[in-house]
Amino acid sequence: MRLDLLVDLWGAYMLDVDAVRKDFPSLKEGRVYLDSAASSLTPDPVIRKMVDYYSDYRANVGRGIYGISRRATDEFEAAREKIAAFIGAGRDELILLRNSSEALNLIASGVQFRRGDSVVITIQEHHSNFVVWQRVKERLGIDLKIVKSDRQGIFNLSDFEDAIDGKTKLVSLAHISNVLGVKLPVKEVAKLAHDQGSLVAIDGAQSAPHTSVNVKDLGCDFFAFSGHKMCGPTGAGALFIRGDLQEHVEPLCVGGGTIEDVGIDYYRLRRGPYRYEAGTPAIAESIGLGAAVDYLRSIGMQNISEHEQALTRRMMERLPEVPGIILYGPPNASDRAGIFSFNIKGLNSHDVALALDSAAGIMVRSGHHCALPLMKDLLAAEGSVRASVYLYNTLSEVDLFADALTEIAKTMA
Amino acid sequence: MHSIVDAYSRFPKADCGYCGNPSCITALRRHCSGEMPLDQCIFFRTGALDPQSIRCPPATESSGVPGISYINPCPSDAHAVTVEVSLASGEHAKHGYYDMVTLDRILGGHVPSLKVSPSLGMARIELEGRSIMAFGEGRILIRRALDEEDALLQLSRAMRQLWAAVN
Repeated sequence: MRLDLLVDLWGAYMLDVDAVRKDFPSLKEGRVYLDSAASSLTPDPVIRKMVDYYSDYRANVGRGIYGISRRATDEFEAAREKIAAFIGAGRDELILLRNSSEALNLIASGVQFRRGDSVVITIQEHHSNFVVWQRVKERLGIDLKIVKSDRQGIFNLSDFEDAIDGKTKLVSLAHISNVLGVKLPVKEVAKLAHDQGSLVAIDGAQSAPHTSVNVKDLGCDFFAFSGHKMCGPTGAGALFIRGDLQEHVEPLCVGGGTIEDVGIDYYRLRRGPYRYEAGTPAIAESIGLGAAVDYLRSIGMQNISEHEQALTRRMMERLPEVPGIILYGPPNASDRAGIFSFNIKGLNSHDVALALDSAAGIMVRSGHHCALPLMKDLLAAEGSVRASVYLYNTLSEVDLFADALTEIAKTMA
Repeated sequence: MHSIVDAYSRFPKADCGYCGNPSCITALRRHCSGEMPLDQCIFFRTGALDPQSIRCPPATESSGVPGISYINPCPSDAHAVTVEVSLASGEHAKHGYYDMVTLDRILGGHVPSLKVSPSLGMARIELEGRSIMAFGEGRILIRRALDEEDALLQLSRAMRQLWAAVN
């Protein structure tokens, strides 16, 4: 038996995809969901956990002294602890926010930049980790340096060495590209940056849902991620800020819940994550994200990674067979996560997505994926079709996808 | 994917009319909507073709509510208008609105701007930078129209091209 088949069987054994699929009520017959990089589906345990909050202990957190308010606070803080542990952070280092975009904005507005500082990012960043730094450049006159990769998405570390110097205040880069699926060398870049006295922020929106993350092991100072891409609800995300940095990073918003004391002519911010969480937080959503972490851990992140690798191998076997396909990103399955961007010669990406939906109920993203600099500068494309896989996708869905694409390429291009 | 084309490829395609239908594609559609037993066709009745080989595709979903909606799915087309039109009403629920097999027979390969895919049940028209997709269930999507007025103009042009395929 071929080695890859053995690995597939092993992966299938470790992750019972049929059982997993039963947990996701959105996976109705005839629907093939290949858009998890945009937003994942939500399993029943997460939905139930949020409904429990609304039906059993609906109250504000950190304010009331009565029983259900204390329970809401306990559940909310338990969620924080679980989410923090999920990425290897301490509970006081985990700020509960709406999503990665808000988290990256917090870093951009909270770190004290001065004219002459530089920020280093890459050409593969999502707009959320691109535009925020363009704005800091406009407002404060920092130098914004953009490290480029080759067309397959592979970086040369020496380009980071050239860009990072004693003036670099922060290096902010994606862990995994949301277009090319390429894994960026974040650990190596973090070391380079720290050697020059720079801070390091990682946009983990595409990594935290799919692979084990340990912020201490990565060596980063900030790590941003979104709950809605990891089986959690929309409106819940998180930001890790290294504990000893927090007094040097200003909150994005101040107000209720963020202060230790206020007088007529002064205010003093609290320590820990609360200084960043102004107003009533997204309580049900954060509790739901805690349940999503429980869910993912019950499946096992290693099992999820192996399952996605099996799907990726099948994708990389089948997609090159599609007539006229231009597949972006690294050619080797082992160099990429479960994100596959491509175009079909003679067809607009939106038309391909429409055809997949209509012909086979396959849902994929089309367009520029909020990464216009990458599209324009690196791929010279107006947009692309993007399919992405997660724990609930199957090898037969990959085959159906490849078959439908082949038929579209043959008859519509 | 079980498409109407898979089933049609196993039909006689003789258009003999002995079953009482004007063409084999009409006979197949009536069969798949439960209106015609296969043994009404002389080829299946005599055993020249295998009735067991015919697998009908699942019925297409139709909202049954005709209407026009304006959508803008992506900032990459932020300057333009995307229009989705649903033409199908209840009477088309059984057979769909457009018959792409017939459209392909009449116009396939003859109109450079038109691509027809009977197997996928859809057609694509490129008209001066606008992209128009028509689906068997009666949905038409016009992308990159200049404005709403332009979208309606393109819609009327597309409907004229597709007219022969209306069930």
